[in-house]
Amino acid sequence: MELEDGRFELREIQKLEGHTDRVWSLAWNPVTGVAGIPYVFASCSGDKTVRIWEQSPSTASWECKAVLEDTHTRTVRSCAWSPSGKLLATGSFDATTAIWENVGGDYECVSTLEGHENEVKSVSWNASGTLLATCARDKTVWIWEGEQGNEFDCVAVLQGHTQDVKMVQWHPTMDILFSCSYDNTIKVWADEGGDDDWACVQTLGEPNNCAGFLVSGHSSTVWALSFNHSGDKMVTCSDDLTLKIWGVDTISAQSANGYAPWRHLCTISGYHDRTIFSVHWSREDIIASGAADDAIRFFVENKDKDGLVDGPLYKLLMKEEKAHDMDVNSVQWSPGEKRLLASASDDGTIKIWELAPVSC
Amino acid sequence: MSEKFSPTLRIGDLSDFIAPSQACIVSLKGLKSSSSNPSANKPEVSTSNQQLKTEPVKISLKDCLACSGCVTSAETIMLEKQSLDEFLSNVNKGKPVIVSLSPQSRASLAVHFGISPLQVFKKLTTLFKSLGVKAVFDTSCSRDLALIETCNEFIAWYKKSQMNDDERCNTSLPMLSSACPGWICYAEKQLGSYILPYISSVKSPQQTIGAIVKNLICQQMDLRPDEVYHVTVMPCYDKKLEASRDDFVFQVESEAKASENEGIKITEVDSVLTSGEVLELIQLKGVDFKALEESPLDRMLTNVTEEGELYGVCGSSGGYAETVFRYAAKLLFGKEIKGPLDFRTIRNSDFREVTLEVEGKTVLKFALCYGFRNLQNIVRKIKIGKCDYHFLEIMACPSGCLNGGGQIKPKPGQSAKDLIQLLETVYMENVLVADPFSNPFVKRLYDEWLEQPGSEKAKRHMHTEYHPVVKSITAQLHNW
Repeated sequence: MELEDGRFELREIQKLEGHTDRVWSLAWNPVTGVAGIPYVFASCSGDKTVRIWEQSPSTASWECKAVLEDTHTRTVRSCAWSPSGKLLATGSFDATTAIWENVGGDYECVSTLEGHENEVKSVSWNASGTLLATCARDKTVWIWEGEQGNEFDCVAVLQGHTQDVKMVQWHPTMDILFSCSYDNTIKVWADEGGDDDWACVQTLGEPNNCAGFLVSGHSSTVWALSFNHSGDKMVTCSDDLTLKIWGVDTISAQSANGYAPWRHLCTISGYHDRTIFSVHWSREDIIASGAADDAIRFFVENKDKDGLVDGPLYKLLMKEEKAHDMDVNSVQWSPGEKRLLASASDDGTIKIWELAPVSC
Repeated sequence: MSEKFSPTLRIGDLSDFIAPSQACIVSLKGLKSSSSNPSANKPEVSTSNQQLKTEPVKISLKDCLACSGCVTSAETIMLEKQSLDEFLSNVNKGKPVIVSLSPQSRASLAVHFGISPLQVFKKLTTLFKSLGVKAVFDTSCSRDLALIETCNEFIAWYKKSQMNDDERCNTSLPMLSSACPGWICYAEKQLGSYILPYISSVKSPQQTIGAIVKNLICQQMDLRPDEVYHVTVMPCYDKKLEASRDDFVFQVESEAKASENEGIKITEVDSVLTSGEVLELIQLKGVDFKALEESPLDRMLTNVTEEGELYGVCGSSGGYAETVFRYAAKLLFGKEIKGPLDFRTIRNSDFREVTLEVEGKTVLKFALCYGFRNLQNIVRKIKIGKCDYHFLEIMACPSGCLNGGGQIKPKPGQSAKDLIQLLETVYMENVLVADPFSNPFVKRLYDEWLEQPGSEKAKRHMHTEYHPVVKSITAQLHNW
């Protein structure tokens, strides 16, 4: 792979307008962009709507195919497709999570999950699509199980975070849930007994209230997290202006039938000077970050350390200044072969980018 | 303090940002001060700045009940009227004190000391009486009365639900049990008017014994109800909130003030001690509990046979589902169920159902539903009209009342699960299983006082009402 030495540029493919308020988040439909199926993704916004965007096979340009409105009564903060691409979950500040089903191109709200006390901040499906996790400002993380007929049962209400939970994310292969919070920590949740006996099995970075000195944990809000393709590494991004890489020993994880402790591998600092809101790890191991300085950055593992033991483990591949006019809230790599990235911003727009080698 | 209330109540406080008027109820330790970095406060939702206060504000449990904010993140709540100190001070003042002991608390102490629940009961009687307590009663006795009222109410609701829509009243099935104060508080504060009509109007065993003691037993013991200090011993902190409800205060006409048309207010239960607090009392008094003499039990309101054996219903959370199921099966379908009921685990061990089939058709469907997650699913199903249960025994705590927040904590090295299993075993140890309808004490209460189940008198003394808590404007603004 030529990521090591080649120079890259970020080509803006298209700027998508339509939302009338800040765009909070976006999600690629995982079964699109492959086998001739045109790319589809969803975006959600402070304008209380969700928009479904599709790439036209003929013109290759992106069009808004559907606007999901009149269901959420406040900001839609987060959206996630089930692994099959059939269901879309959306979490809103109206304290509900809506489940949408794609019925012949029409999106129908088939279920509304109530229970959170206030703003739902994030939604995430597990690898098999049987479990949905949600989190909220109420400091709790909920796990729901899909039943027949699009009914959902609450299987766990997880308390542990001491503040607003910003994001939930399932491990890409195992039924282990990760959550990150305004309390500066990342919590790992597992069903240890196998009887819906979910509990916090690890907290990465304890609250910053004692000596104020923590070697490994974030020192401010953890906004997002993302796994590498194999699931043995995770990146987290924070208001403390750093990205942190965490790792797990996959062999012990498999022998322990799931959970093994995660440990801090390295911290990527010195590159960001404003809050990092979003981070996403690509199949090719390129880490993209979106931040409050309107820029998008890309990091890759530093393989030419020349034997320097203490050399940085990750290096900046490139930085796109002024990627948006305002904060970049979400960056998401596309599925499929292309190196496409979508970004969502407070400026109300979504941009589609292609990361490509500079042609000389 | 907050850790001690049931998880359902604790979850009731879900606000990061407590209005200044509610600042009493949050521990401000470990909160971050506002960052100098502007984007740290990205306005996902607009909120006011948190105010740091150093002095805890005192609030009473009544304030908690009236407040639409949280209840129990209140690490600084002063449980002034509900504490061990208050209990001791009343005993020392020479007030006539009556103690009513729950069977769950007996089990907790029995496991802790490695003795039987009956021994615990007798030893506690010795201990309390040495302090000057007039009588020690048993809430399994009042529970039998509450169960009979619940059976009676269920049959009435069931029959109404079988009528056609025109005749149907505003009550309908499922009936939700009402004995758990954590659940009631959550229903009133968070769920509101759509769920309250489904909740049985029967008072909990605690309030039932409160009503019996203050309305009837006091006179029989030649004590003035307004002077008697009635304390219950419960597995649960939320019971303190329950005892504080205005619904459980009644007025009697005072002889002296009759002309002024003003009665004396009588509180059914003046104070609640948890199992853990009774252990504290034992330690405080420096008593070797296991070596303590065993006094005879006060038979007036205690489920004890002539031979000295304890009796009561099965089911460590009160046996509501089981008792009503057996009664309804017999009364409505003529099916007498012998042997233990076949509760089947549905989702997890805290959600179990039992059904009655007649000619291949399910005619009764009951369930035990413990813990917040299971409660959530039921509540949602009721809201969307997809709940096909006839009766649900709802408890806020996972594993039910034996796992109440007021129970004695596991010993070092003991897991919570192991302790629960031990408690479940000990709970019915040497306790005869008995039908509430054949309880002689309860029969006498009906004969001498309440007439019959569901009578006007029974309704006045043994039933209650629920009130949706209107969200205060500040709470709403803060949730915006």
